[in-house]
Amino acid sequence: MISFSDLKREAAFLSKQRYVVFFLLVALALSIFSVWSGVAETRAQIDTIERLLEKDAIDREDALSKQSDYGSAAYYSFHLTYSEPSPMAFAAMGQRDIYPWKHRVRMLAIEGQIYETDADNPELSFLGRFDFAFLISVLLPLFVILLLHDLRSSEREAGRFDLLIVTAKEEKQLWLSRALTMSLALALVLLIPFLIGVLVTGASATEIGLMLLVVLGHLGLWTIITLFIGNPKRSSSQSSARIASRLLAVWLLFTVLIPVGSDTVINELVESPSGGEIVLTQREAVNDAWDVPFSETWRAFLATHPEWESKTSMNSQFEWKWYYAFQQVGDQKAAELSHGYREATQQKDTVASIVALFSPPMLTQRLMSSIAGTNISSSLAYEQRVRDYHASLRSFYYPLLFNDGEFSHQALSGMPIFGESQANEAESSD
Amino acid sequence: MREEMVVASSLSVTFEQHKVLDGVSFKVGEGEVFALLGGNGAGKSTALKSFLGTVTPSGGSASVMGLSVASQIDVIRQKVAYLPESVMLYGHLTGVENIEYFLSLAGITSAKDKIESALKRVALQQDAWYRSLSNYSKGMRQKTAIALALLREAPVLFLDEPTSGLDPSAIDEFNQLITTLASEGSTIFMVSHDVYGACQIAHRIGLLDKGKIVGMFEREGDNPIDTEAVHASFSKRNG
Ligand SMILES: Nc1ncnc2c1ncn2[C@@H]1O[C@H](COP(=O)(O)OP(=O)(O)O)[C@@H](O)[C@H]1O
Ligand SMILES: [Mg+2]
Repeated sequence: MISFSDLKREAAFLSKQRYVVFFLLVALALSIFSVWSGVAETRAQIDTIERLLEKDAIDREDALSKQSDYGSAAYYSFHLTYSEPSPMAFAAMGQRDIYPWKHRVRMLAIEGQIYETDADNPELSFLGRFDFAFLISVLLPLFVILLLHDLRSSEREAGRFDLLIVTAKEEKQLWLSRALTMSLALALVLLIPFLIGVLVTGASATEIGLMLLVVLGHLGLWTIITLFIGNPKRSSSQSSARIASRLLAVWLLFTVLIPVGSDTVINELVESPSGGEIVLTQREAVNDAWDVPFSETWRAFLATHPEWESKTSMNSQFEWKWYYAFQQVGDQKAAELSHGYREATQQKDTVASIVALFSPPMLTQRLMSSIAGTNISSSLAYEQRVRDYHASLRSFYYPLLFNDGEFSHQALSGMPIFGESQANEAESSD
Repeated sequence: MREEMVVASSLSVTFEQHKVLDGVSFKVGEGEVFALLGGNGAGKSTALKSFLGTVTPSGGSASVMGLSVASQIDVIRQKVAYLPESVMLYGHLTGVENIEYFLSLAGITSAKDKIESALKRVALQQDAWYRSLSNYSKGMRQKTAIALALLREAPVLFLDEPTSGLDPSAIDEFNQLITTLASEGSTIFMVSHDVYGACQIAHRIGLLDKGKIVGMFEREGDNPIDTEAVHASFSKRNG
């Protein structure tokens, strides 16, 4: 229906409208800035991880060289865990700002270590940082509204309307080709910096394809909304300002009221322990353990690790195997809270994903951070990797601690490293 | 030769319970210059717009070249040229660019020299052709729009107050142009409140008052319609 020559005509026409060109340049600048800051931020995170990894190995070497028993070796060595940003993360920094993405963990009770940097209960943030996803989900609708709300009404107000529609081969074709040209121009200025960004970070073709689909889908939707509300049959006597304020009300509803309102309601309705509570519960359990009879600690420990039943006899008031046993028990006591916390987070996220079906900007933002691997599920998955890794540390150390063998540095060389196949080891222990 | 290029039969238009056109009927034949004369608010522009599909009649019907406005407006619009009462074009484009843009909307690509010769024909001063339209006077905009209408090479022209804003010598040139076009076979439906000007070029004049045709005047032979007679009838009602 709309031919290439229609688009060419409108593109030439549009390029001569100074305010439109200026406006597109502003959109381009914003897109460049969002992509640049996202790429810079993920680069900095990758650099940090690399730097810490180097330091981590050296520090651990150093700490281990000074030890002469397995208990203090475990006590004094730290292990870096991290979640590296995906090549697409720059486009939607999402939850990466709110959830911690790196930890230094020890063989001590783990739950407290995971949540101590995270004492506040993270909210489902939407109007967060200025990244590409924010540009697309929140600002793109405004751009479309600004460019297209007065598509017809401006011509009416300028007194050109009748001449235009009498002259055009088909009235619909005229407005559609104008709207399409503006939308395509907007897509171009928003997507070019993004495409340069993915070239730099090397995201996969599938991720790029999905992102483009989401961006173009959101753009298309707002183009349709704007054209519908500015429709001549509905608004022949309506001024551009009237149409614009109507559209802004729709934008406000979708972009602010629904996300912020649902966020408040969800946090009110879904009961969730806080990270701080988990840290406290676990810490108290560990501190109390010093005063609790050995037998009580062992009973709780053996309930989950019966394989060490025959190795619990103690020759002194302090033995490392008992120390790590009550660390483990501390985790067991916090397990319910920690589980509840994760359940609640997941539940809030599920409710939010349903609410998002009624708010295109929210849906767009969620889809983008899902493709970028920066959503809540990714954060929870990272936490789980930390737990699994910690479990693999335990299954590495427990035989050394319980079997009372001679200390040798050689035996420590098989220590699991985060990110290196700890998954199967973890399965066999926890 | 087709006799019924523009036909109104019992055409009525109502705006907010106010009857602007009240059962108007007339026919315009091929090669004819028909002028609808009337005072301000008589309903002239409304009548003209009824043929362009920008006003919807509440009764009766309108047709152009045998095509019904109600059902075949897209076809009609490709066969007519329209000069609006107050010509508004794009200020950020030059005169030539405006013409090029509107022509391409109609699916016409016109060579530059063809556009230039049309502008010469309507006597738009040459130094303005490639200047931004925002600096044009009303008359210059009018001439640009007339050039555009010519370039459409449409069999039927709808002109709403075509000489308003033109100076006397430009009016003479315009009248000349209309006469030539009609002799070449174009059908011209124009609307005016200028009795003298209409009498100079029209083959027939319909007098419109309060939405009703109250008089018809026809040229006899090659002599212009009697201005005095029309004027007498006109001022009786608008006096
Ligand atoms: N779109 C409209 N809505 C309401 N009233 C209108 C509209 N267009 C014209 N009118 C009214 O109809 C009457 C005739 O208008 P018009 O046809 O423009 O007169 P003319 O061209 O003869 O001066 C006037 O009273 C005018 O106010
Ligand atoms: Mg008028």
